[in-house]
Amino acid sequence: MKGAAIRRTQNMGEALAKKVLLIGWDAADWKVATPLLEQGLMPALDDFINHGVMGNLATLQPILSPMLWNSIATGKRADKHGIHGFTEPDPNSGGVRPVTSTSRKVKAIWNILTQRGYKPHVLGWFAGHPAEPINGISVSDLYPLATKPHDKPWPLPPSAVHPENLRDTLAELRMHPAEVDPSGILPFVPQAAKVNQKEDKRLSIIAKLLAENCSIHNAATWILQTQPWDFMAVYYNAIDHFCHGFMPFHPPRMEGIPEDQYELYKGVVSGAYRFHDMMLHTLLQLAGPETTVILCSDHGFHPDHLRPRGIPDEPAGPAVQHRRFGIICMKGTGIKQDARIYGATLLDITPTILTVMGLPVGQDMDGRVMVQAFEEPPAIERIPSWEEVPGECGMHPADLQVDAESADAVLKQFAALGYIAPTDDQKKAVEIALRESKYNLARAYMDKGEPSQALPMFVELYKEQPYQTRFAQHLAQCYFSLRRIEDAKRILTESMNRPLETPEQEQGSARRALPLPEAQAGVAPATPEASMPRPWGDWMIGNIHFEEGKMDEALQCLLRAERSEPRFPDLHVRIGQTYLRLKRVDDAGRAFRKALEIDGDSPEAHLGLATASLRKKDNEQAVEEALAAVGLQHYLPMGHFCLGVGLARLGHFHRATLAFETALTILPGFMRARRWLIAINRRPGGDRTKAAHHRKLIAEMIQRRSVAFNT
Amino acid sequence: MITVVSGVPRSGTSLMMQMLVAGGLEPLTDGRRAADAGNPRGYFEWEKAKALPIDPGCIREAEGKVVKVVSTLLPSLPNTFDYRVIFMERALAEVVASQSAMIQRLGTQAPALPPEVMERALETHLKQVKAALRLRPEMRICWIGHRDVVQNAQRVCETLQQFLGSPLDLPAMAAHVDPSLYRQRQASDIDSIKQAQAFRRLA
Repeated sequence: MKGAAIRRTQNMGEALAKKVLLIGWDAADWKVATPLLEQGLMPALDDFINHGVMGNLATLQPILSPMLWNSIATGKRADKHGIHGFTEPDPNSGGVRPVTSTSRKVKAIWNILTQRGYKPHVLGWFAGHPAEPINGISVSDLYPLATKPHDKPWPLPPSAVHPENLRDTLAELRMHPAEVDPSGILPFVPQAAKVNQKEDKRLSIIAKLLAENCSIHNAATWILQTQPWDFMAVYYNAIDHFCHGFMPFHPPRMEGIPEDQYELYKGVVSGAYRFHDMMLHTLLQLAGPETTVILCSDHGFHPDHLRPRGIPDEPAGPAVQHRRFGIICMKGTGIKQDARIYGATLLDITPTILTVMGLPVGQDMDGRVMVQAFEEPPAIERIPSWEEVPGECGMHPADLQVDAESADAVLKQFAALGYIAPTDDQKKAVEIALRESKYNLARAYMDKGEPSQALPMFVELYKEQPYQTRFAQHLAQCYFSLRRIEDAKRILTESMNRPLETPEQEQGSARRALPLPEAQAGVAPATPEASMPRPWGDWMIGNIHFEEGKMDEALQCLLRAERSEPRFPDLHVRIGQTYLRLKRVDDAGRAFRKALEIDGDSPEAHLGLATASLRKKDNEQAVEEALAAVGLQHYLPMGHFCLGVGLARLGHFHRATLAFETALTILPGFMRARRWLIAINRRPGGDRTKAAHHRKLIAEMIQRRSVAFNT
Repeated sequence: MITVVSGVPRSGTSLMMQMLVAGGLEPLTDGRRAADAGNPRGYFEWEKAKALPIDPGCIREAEGKVVKVVSTLLPSLPNTFDYRVIFMERALAEVVASQSAMIQRLGTQAPALPPEVMERALETHLKQVKAALRLRPEMRICWIGHRDVVQNAQRVCETLQQFLGSPLDLPAMAAHVDPSLYRQRQASDIDSIKQAQAFRRLA
């Protein structure tokens, strides 16, 4: 299995790098890092981006880390990789446990590399327990957790490390929170002495996070120094945890945060970034110049005026603090230097690593190679699927994979027989885990653009708990996406007429403002009163009127929603789109700009401005806005289309052709893009054959639609 | 060293406990679950085992003894001890029939699943347990078929003696196996199931 001879097997192109190091910083965000870079407080990251490329990394919905990190490691969405949330039923205890590696259904990059005879290592990855038997070292996410006080034995959990013979060595490298002395805390909280630790436990939280991430870092640096390696993936969770705990204290001071608390904890988030910068410095030194390094995060974290004012009282509610753009940096042989890249998504990481290592990309992967990061476009080879490639890949045997519903049936049976005794809390935890998993999977299908797959799940969830507003909202949205407008209206009417009930039933309801897309919503604390405004309802009904072409009614509803919840950028985008349909282009422009004032990284708002600019024949502005839109979100066919129109009008026909072709790659049925390509190619000097080809495709599409319509 | 008797409920774990105790091993049991029609010779259970997921360290009480631990709880055993695990296997159709009969006797609430669905769920569960046990080097496993025990007790007792590496009272162990009891109970379980099915049809 080892050795270069085996590595050079079929389906292998020319490797661009000898080694690849993938570093994961959960929730890292340029909005926090950039000011620190400008102040010279993150020198390692500064040097990294000066010698490589950097950009935003678009995330997926729902923005939940276990799902996202497994998409990063597989290049596939959650419906394919099988990780659907934070917890799963534990077939051993009758309760729940953190989601495990045995629930992942497809190969991660380290499995593919194992299969090809490389030496990959993976540390701390989300859903990494039990450690997988790969051809390198696997350290699970349970490895760093201190389960006992420092003066008690602290054994590693079974299967936290592979191979087993490194268990003792790696166990010794762990750091216990009690080992973090005041000198470790002071860089985060300089006035730590003022904290009353009997009442305020936050210093111990900082110690815990530092210890856990130092443990992972110790193991990673030990491996880099002492073990042969071709690939390492190392994941640090601290930025996310520090942000969930301390972002409300990050400057500027938020309304409602007491002055003394702000003064104590205002430096914690910045401290976390600087701590990571120090660890990055060490990793880069140990990796050496011949290694291609990728640093990424799964999502961002609102650090500014978009910080939510409250957290929805529902499982995974804190995800409302997440921002939809994480970070990506990459450096190495053949990678551009000191350049920005646009349009990357976290699904692109694994395809890009495969290309860097000279391996083919699976056609069943949902991501693409980040070609824009390379000085010369790399040769990209493809195979139908890595899942079909036989051979040992270091995954757990299929027998270990957990079927949640089957496990639940066995547990209930054994409990009925009196052999196990799950508590009521455990039973409830299982019920919640199964329900949330279904909810998350349904949302992942919606994000993928497959509402028909999501529909039965949302129907079931709504039937079980109609009082959960989030289920009603998503079901209505799902019907809406399927153009089942009457069903969407029915659900909205039922939900808006439902009196608000008990606090428990009201979970995630009254406190919820506009949850679609959730990360953007400002969540106002409120008392459950039947008469309270429900802006999400106005927003959804406004969308329905919009789809029905009733623009005046749509505008009325949307403006009413705006009065209740003015901080939701997508609402302003929809208002702008409505004005466009009403031919009120200046009003539309104002609405789109309002959306951008709230969130400058809204691709939809940039797209709206591009459209408005095209209407006003301001083609240069249109091109600029369209570029901004597709730079933020590559999978935006309308953005590429507007870019093409603007460029064509400015006479840049070659670039316009590329833009239209990109739109068609994403959305092959996009007839207007084909018509523009026909027009461009019929011009003098154009390619008449291509024009004829597109004409033929349009004719075929029209015929197919006609047949479908008649049947 | 801890000797563990495991398997899914109604796979013959109580019978195996009786045999090992007759053979000379000291059981860890609290005697809380009394003998009944399902197990006329007693269950040999240890209530604390149910708390293993929360308090795995409690297994230290079983050092030098034999204890019954149901299959779902095996992975909760801490890796700080060495174990010899005797894992009982029985045809799943028989297991499901026997479990259903016992649930009826107990009057408890179980998932309303057709027997074949429960069989598949148990089959999956057993595959997972076996795969999980392969990752536990501190556990030595001896797989014993329930049918072998009933049909060839002497040979099974010899296998157990070899596996445990200590002399056992083999005749006393074998004497605890009563094939007629097994046949009677199997018939009674099937009758109970048929009655229940008939009742459900009427209802």
